Amino acid sequence: MTSPIVQLPQAQLRPLLAAYEATVRSRRWHSVMIAACVVAAIALSSISAEVAPMRLFENIGRFTSYIVRLFYLESGAPVWTDPAEWYWGLPRWLRLLGETLLMAYVGTLLGAAGAFGLCFLAAANVAPSRWLRIAVRRFCELCRTVPGLVFALIFVIAFGLGPMAGVLAVAIHTLGALGKLFAEVVENIDMKPVEGISSTGAAWHVAMRFGALPQTMSNFVSYALLRFEINVRESAVLGFVGAGGIGQDLIEAIRKFYYSDVSAILVLILLTVAVIDMLTARVRHRLIGLGENHR
Amino acid sequence: MTGRPKIDLAAVRSRHPHHFGRMDRAQITAAAVAAAALALLIYGMGELGFFGGTFLAGLRRLGEILGLMLPPDPGNWAHVRIFVMALLETVAIALLGTLSAAVLAVPLALLAARNVTTARLVRFLSRRSLDTIRSVDILVWALIWINVVGLGPFAGALAIMTSDIGSFGKLFSEAIEAADRRPVEGIVSTGGGRILGVRFGILPEVFPVLASQILYYFESNTRSATIIGIVGAGGIGLHLAEAIRTLELPQVSFIILLILAAVAAIDFVSSQLRFAMIGPRAGTAT
Amino acid sequence: MLRLDGVVKKFGDKRAVDAVSLVVPAGQLVGIIGRSGAGKSTLLRMINRLNDPSEGSIRYGDIDITALRGRALREWRARCAMIFQQFNLAGRLDVLTNVMMGRAFHAPLARSLFNIWTDDEKALGLSALEGLEMARLAGQRADTLSGGQQQRVAIARALVQEPELILADEPIASLDPRNTQVVMDALQHINRHLGITVICNLHSLDIARNYCDRLVGLANGRVVFDGVPSQLTDRVARDLYGLESDDVVGPDARPDYTPAEARPGLALAGS
Repeated sequence: MTSPIVQLPQAQLRPLLAAYEATVRSRRWHSVMIAACVVAAIALSSISAEVAPMRLFENIGRFTSYIVRLFYLESGAPVWTDPAEWYWGLPRWLRLLGETLLMAYVGTLLGAAGAFGLCFLAAANVAPSRWLRIAVRRFCELCRTVPGLVFALIFVIAFGLGPMAGVLAVAIHTLGALGKLFAEVVENIDMKPVEGISSTGAAWHVAMRFGALPQTMSNFVSYALLRFEINVRESAVLGFVGAGGIGQDLIEAIRKFYYSDVSAILVLILLTVAVIDMLTARVRHRLIGLGENHR
Repeated sequence: MTGRPKIDLAAVRSRHPHHFGRMDRAQITAAAVAAAALALLIYGMGELGFFGGTFLAGLRRLGEILGLMLPPDPGNWAHVRIFVMALLETVAIALLGTLSAAVLAVPLALLAARNVTTARLVRFLSRRSLDTIRSVDILVWALIWINVVGLGPFAGALAIMTSDIGSFGKLFSEAIEAADRRPVEGIVSTGGGRILGVRFGILPEVFPVLASQILYYFESNTRSATIIGIVGAGGIGLHLAEAIRTLELPQVSFIILLILAAVAAIDFVSSQLRFAMIGPRAGTAT
Repeated sequence: MLRLDGVVKKFGDKRAVDAVSLVVPAGQLVGIIGRSGAGKSTLLRMINRLNDPSEGSIRYGDIDITALRGRALREWRARCAMIFQQFNLAGRLDVLTNVMMGRAFHAPLARSLFNIWTDDEKALGLSALEGLEMARLAGQRADTLSGGQQQRVAIARALVQEPELILADEPIASLDPRNTQVVMDALQHINRHLGITVICNLHSLDIARNYCDRLVGLANGRVVFDGVPSQLTDRVARDLYGLESDDVVGPDARPDYTPAEARPGLALAGS
């Protein structure tokens, strides 16, 4: 077979190849350096985190057997053969699940209300005072970075065991997360309406209410709904530290090796989360659609 | 005002009666939704015990606790050393968990991506399992792994890995689906197989996107890694929970400050890295 | 009487407005002319205090505008209404609500936040809209209106402020010829019949000559012309717009001015 390409003479070919190799080599050198850094970081981390692959390999059977055992009743029968036995605690779990949802709802709403109040103070384009803005930003950062569970631990001491501590933990974490997001939404608005309203002598609050808010409201609601989804998951484990909700029964089941209870509660939580996700996704799509239509 | 014309209110009103009505339909709907949400809020707060005396008493106690937290104070230097080591352990847990999850998630993501896997059933099953993994909380995974490898940071790293496989699998498969399909066609058109198409057509294109997502998760995993210590899976959370339980409040605030500093540092480094990785690429692409 | 003394506005190193001194007696219709970037907008925005001057003083009667803060500043803004090139309406709100913003200074804060207006306030707004033939659209969302309609809503908003002074920043730059005439006629009517002082930024020299009592020319932030329209010779105009330099052909330089000999009869000048 004849090739359509005429082979270059060696004298021409060599410098071309050399140039190509040189660029590739420098790129490769770069990659090798990065890879070396990553490998070093992994090695150091492995020591620090007491990684023991042998232990993992020896005991990996326990993981699979744990998962399998989740689906067997105490009697040895698979859970689906006797749903009544599997879900023996359904009334209590449903009540706790309802409490969990209520915690997520109240926490999200309180947190979102707080974030709503703060976001206009934290947005660079409309904030009335620079120092206040920085203070509000730092406060939101603190609320966002400290995990909800840590707040829950502290609130349990102050408010006692029970859902109130959980609600407040959810609320304060939501305040931090939404405060930042809301402020970003406000920073992206069209400033012309705000300016137009300010030029009439209207107070700052009026300019925010009529100039900024109509542009941001659908985004606010959408973010709050997204946060509600996250908070439902979060509320489900707050019971681990005694802050109410279904988590308290889940951790008890895990700690006491009531395998079928663990799977029963987990399935309940997963179903609830899936349903909530679906509902909020639908509402959010409608909201976004509304926003687009009106634009 | 010099030239204000007299306005005949009755006349204006008779010409535009609809602007003087109380409320229109949309306003009534909005008010009804708001009222329902508020009613549920008040019911919920009542149900959760907000209107008893406990809330106010709790607030007072919280004020005392916050007062006792200041100033932050680790107690002594031995504590500082322990806390800093535990914090490094937390970062190590986050790093290992994130990286191993990323590696394991790639094949799953390929299975779940529409433009790679054509078999619908495989795609459906891999998506569902990714969703399920994602929905189980990281603390539950930590408790399960503690059963397997015992208490300690290794269980924590495995927990982060498991829970992130779900998130990464979903994110990666979306990134792969969003990838331009022309490079793959180019490679397939030269006679290269599907695997080659994925290797040279899709991976180079999505790699920066994946890398930036991995960095982002590393950040958020550092936050998660601080709490898995609460159930005994290593890291600073153990000390934090311990300090809270024993009411060593100045230590609590010290540890929280440490965490804030660490997260801020990681935030900074990873945004630099992300910029270094995506910035120039985005620059040359246009 | 509005008096500006050595007003300077710096943006970084650039002096957008450079030592402008000006006296505007009550009741005048003043046109401020000049190229884009000559400092016209900044000057007007400083009078309303949307921007703060870097140096100099602005006085109205015996009030020092530059020193106003808080409620006193808002009271001044209520007395000196502003009209913008891009209308600056809240697009998602209906027309009447936009107009009611002009009453926001006078209404109690809590009531206005809940968008509740008295019948008298609504009647005032609707009457202002009627005068501009916009009353039948009072319930529409502002962003569904055409540019000319939006600018009329903005004028109604300014009118319900019951101002002593109206600052119009390029009110016709985004409008077609027909709406240009409607808006300029409205401003002239407001000036002649309601006795409100109007200061109007215009980049169209023809319009400025036809409507204004007095023209002030700005170039590079400085006043280079101040007089009645008949004093504005083509030579001065050419200097003002810098038509002889090369840099006017930028995208936003588009001076509507064409040399007098090339100008067709003034089609829009009916008033």
